[in-house]
Amino acid sequence: VNLTEQKVGSVNIIEVAGRVDSANAPKLQERAGAIFASGDGSVLLDLAKVEYISSAGFRSLLLLARQAKETKKPFVLCGLTPKVRQLFDLGGFLDLLPVAATREEGIAAAQ
Amino acid sequence: MRKPSNVLYGFDERAPRLVTVLSGLQHVGAMSMYLLYPVLVARAANAPPEVAASMVSLTLLAMAIGTILQDFRFGPVGSGYLCQPIPSVVYLLPSLLAARTGGLEVVFGMTIAAGLLEMAMSRVLRRLRPIFPPEIVGLVILLVGVATGLVGLRLVFGDSHSHRGVDGPSVELIELVVGFVTLAIMAGLNIWNRGYLRIFCVLIGMAAGYALSGSLGILSPGDMDVIAKAPVVALPTFGHLGWSFDPTLLLPFGVAAVAATLKVMGNVTTLQKANDADWIRPGMTQVMGGVLADGLGTVVAGSIGAQGLNSSPTVVGLAAASGVLSRYVAIPVAVLLAALAFLPKVGAVAYLMPRTVAAAALVFSSTFIIVNGIQVMTSRLLDTRKTVLIGIALLAGLAVDAEPSVLRFFPENWKAVLGTSLVLGTVVGLVLNLIFRMGVKRARSLTIAPGHVDPARIEEFLQESGEQWGARADVIERAKFNLVQSIEAIVEGCQPREPLEVEATFDEFNVDIRVSYNGPLIELPDKRPSNEEIMESEDGHRRLAGFMLRRHADRVSATQKAGRSTVTFHFDH
Repeated sequence: VNLTEQKVGSVNIIEVAGRVDSANAPKLQERAGAIFASGDGSVLLDLAKVEYISSAGFRSLLLLARQAKETKKPFVLCGLTPKVRQLFDLGGFLDLLPVAATREEGIAAAQ
Repeated sequence: MRKPSNVLYGFDERAPRLVTVLSGLQHVGAMSMYLLYPVLVARAANAPPEVAASMVSLTLLAMAIGTILQDFRFGPVGSGYLCQPIPSVVYLLPSLLAARTGGLEVVFGMTIAAGLLEMAMSRVLRRLRPIFPPEIVGLVILLVGVATGLVGLRLVFGDSHSHRGVDGPSVELIELVVGFVTLAIMAGLNIWNRGYLRIFCVLIGMAAGYALSGSLGILSPGDMDVIAKAPVVALPTFGHLGWSFDPTLLLPFGVAAVAATLKVMGNVTTLQKANDADWIRPGMTQVMGGVLADGLGTVVAGSIGAQGLNSSPTVVGLAAASGVLSRYVAIPVAVLLAALAFLPKVGAVAYLMPRTVAAAALVFSSTFIIVNGIQVMTSRLLDTRKTVLIGIALLAGLAVDAEPSVLRFFPENWKAVLGTSLVLGTVVGLVLNLIFRMGVKRARSLTIAPGHVDPARIEEFLQESGEQWGARADVIERAKFNLVQSIEAIVEGCQPREPLEVEATFDEFNVDIRVSYNGPLIELPDKRPSNEEIMESEDGHRRLAGFMLRRHADRVSATQKAGRSTVTFHFDH
């Protein structure tokens, strides 16, 4: 998985590309978790370039959502491709995790 | 079965009487534009106007009978869906050939033969599926579209300027202008409008073409006399009726019967989808009933001196667009069609259709058929075999018109049989399909070492398999997720020490993925684990994996024998 970071105002945008599975989900969790731990603003995960996400990836997203709640910082996802959206639906995550339709909406929601 | 929200009246529901009658009127309007085809056949046989008018009347009568046979169910006959027949372009092409070479008797005799063939095919549709994969179906539709457009262009630019059955003068510039205006109206109404203007764009364009031709003198006072002299009400005449059989035309009519069968299958499937929000796959009983009714309708048509019929995609599109899918609409449709059969002026008007107006209708219709063919061909993953098959068969078909000398080494009687783009292209496609099927493994396997799991390689294995099989891309995508996710869960949770064996198998109805390994079975729960379970334990997210795997496949089974576990994911195809 490749992570590219960018900051817009107080929103840390992490663009995730490739596969999010048990081999690399910890890398994503570690990076976004460090932002919450440092208190350096909110996190927007842009998943537009994600090809595959496994149950281990979903576990990392749940853990990040819990950490965001604890640190009272917004945590938002955006850019779900139809294929990835189907997997979110399959695992029952569409209603559990805050998902924005576009990156712009995601930034607004994460402010 | 769940009715989609955009459907007002489902196929087995009764709409209010007024809605039923008005919908019926719409259908008859849309169906009537195809009355051009029997006229073209009569002209090709050099038949006089009154015979052409009779053919139109009898075609209307056959359409009325075909509508009842198709839209209701009588034992094994009929689909029960609103997809009634029209004089079809698939039978137009061989009928023109038969009319030119042997006259109307041969047209009717061969139409009966084609209908009987369609009826016979309806009984063995399941077994025929490997012979008619989507690339062949799409190819046939594409070639029908090309041939239809060419019939239109030849009416205007052909070497023999055949006009109403006799050699006439070259097309005048003013006629050409009328043709372009007609085509522009049809295209314009279709592209920039919605609702009725769009649905009836061909009919409106043809009416405008008639009006322009009348005002510009293309339709002569003599032509108007023909309409005036036709009786208001009369029984259809059968003076032209006769049947004759020509074996050299068996192939063109056989290909037409195949094309007709494929079109019915497509239409019934479309209506099944339109009626059911939870649709998964075609209901073969209704599809087979639909093909049987379609063939029977064509036998009736040939028997009474009408042109071959075939279930109409236009009618299906009209029903789907209006949301009125009730089969009871077929009753006013049949009554109106039968009534029109007794009005000879309808046939006279159709017979006098100016050639460039007819050409515009044919060219416009062909565009949709061509694109539909391309869409069907590309609905499956295309590997090298299919790419080569489509390319060569298409070129062979086009070569008949572009370079007729491709057939010069064939004996004369073969040339007569193979000498149309639809027949040669289809025959080449069918032969190549049978040859290229050799060596395609329906089962493929892969061995994965637990320490060297490469998800990209695993996905590539299924992608390659899917392309070779011609499997649906969406089914292969689902299978990819299940295979990669299951291997991840097995390697992490069950820790097999020996390599995992993967076997993927395919037939036209099923894709099965089997993973076997030494170790305990992975859990495939029916119920989603809670968020706490997923977050707090490694087991939790593996149970989530099992839950997703179970939901994603159409069926899952897990067995264990002598310490070796096997998990099978089944996907309907």
